[in-house]
Amino acid sequence: MRAATVNIWREELKAVLRGAAGSFLFGIPLLYTVEVWSIGSAAQSPLLLAVLGTTFIVVLLLTEIEGFRRTLTLHPIEAILESIEALGIGLVCAAIALVLLRRVTLETPLSEALGKLIFEGVPFSIGVALARSILSRDRLENRTRRTINRPRLLAAPSLSSLRDTLVDFDATLIGAILIAFSIAPTEEIPILAADIPPLWLLWLMAASLLFSYGIVFASGFSDRSDRRQRGLLISPTTETLVAYLVALLASITMLVFFQQLTLQDPWQEWLGDTIVLALPAAIGGAAGRILI
Amino acid sequence: MADDSAKNTPVVDVSPSQSLSLIEPVRTLAEWITLGVTTLILAILVALVVYDWRANQSRPPAFQVEIAETARVTDGRYYVPFAITNTGGRVARTVQVTAELHLDNADDEAGEQQIDFLSGSERKRGSFVFEHDPQTGELVIRVASYRLP
Repeated sequence: MRAATVNIWREELKAVLRGAAGSFLFGIPLLYTVEVWSIGSAAQSPLLLAVLGTTFIVVLLLTEIEGFRRTLTLHPIEAILESIEALGIGLVCAAIALVLLRRVTLETPLSEALGKLIFEGVPFSIGVALARSILSRDRLENRTRRTINRPRLLAAPSLSSLRDTLVDFDATLIGAILIAFSIAPTEEIPILAADIPPLWLLWLMAASLLFSYGIVFASGFSDRSDRRQRGLLISPTTETLVAYLVALLASITMLVFFQQLTLQDPWQEWLGDTIVLALPAAIGGAAGRILI
Repeated sequence: MADDSAKNTPVVDVSPSQSLSLIEPVRTLAEWITLGVTTLILAILVALVVYDWRANQSRPPAFQVEIAETARVTDGRYYVPFAITNTGGRVARTVQVTAELHLDNADDEAGEQQIDFLSGSERKRGSFVFEHDPQTGELVIRVASYRLP
């Protein structure tokens, strides 16, 4: 009975984290869009309320099919309650993201902050409702896993575990590129990087690591015991750190590829731009590792 | 045994054979708390939007420009910092701030600054740069125009 009580809280935390993971994955592209900030800032209050209402209806329609907690068709009242939760989680995630990128600071006037939050809250809330559809591997279960039933003893460095590590590495890279490639050439990267004070970049790095860890290990999308048997990157912390390095390298490559960074630019710009782009890359990389 | 634990806790991977739609939906305490917190957040958000609507939207943009007393001198140029505040409630776009320095013994100098976006009670800073010491002439900084969104 006691174990069951503990489980209730852990499962709920996992469910909320799952929602948050989907939220960030779906919301990130619009978070890095300057137009959404300005449309949100200029919007008047009646419009904001209308946007909030419309988002609720869209989230409700999505939840009717599949909630962020359960796959099965829900009771109508249950669907409404879960949509309220999805909207709330989405808005909290959007608020965290806006503060992290300094689109909302203590100096931002209330009306501007509300506008940005509600407009960015739209994709973030939809992401919560879609979390299971985007990230759950349930529907891929029919595919045979490469590493299923591998005895733990074989986790020691060997040729096959090296191959598994490469698979993880590859998945991170694919995910990072998938999400960050469309953001890399845009003007938002230098705009955001210019507004972020040097020490704030540390928060951004910490958040990138935390989100990456949360998506892969805390949200219960992938079975941890299954993951532990794979590859050289056994410890979740090590795996998260290495994946972040991959995200940083991918970001810097993409920025150079799009000539956002050139040899004439000061190193501070290289640092800022790379860390700003590594946030979506890390989130994409984490999604890549649980899906591939 | 496995079925019992599945009923007590919302297991993520429910097998298709266990149709939850037939079982009465069970909300755990943890789920009720999530609902309570998120409802509270949404209620606060809606309240803030309504408050902002009543308090600010009826006041059109108005501007206050402050100029620093002393200019900063770097490499023989004079940098005059200014701060512009939208004292109204509504947003103004493309706010044009102009500076004119009337000098007695030289040609007049002028500067122009366009601020894309200034929402109600927002404050933005910038600087005008002159070749001559603003103290030796008459400096006029004013808002020339703006656009409503």
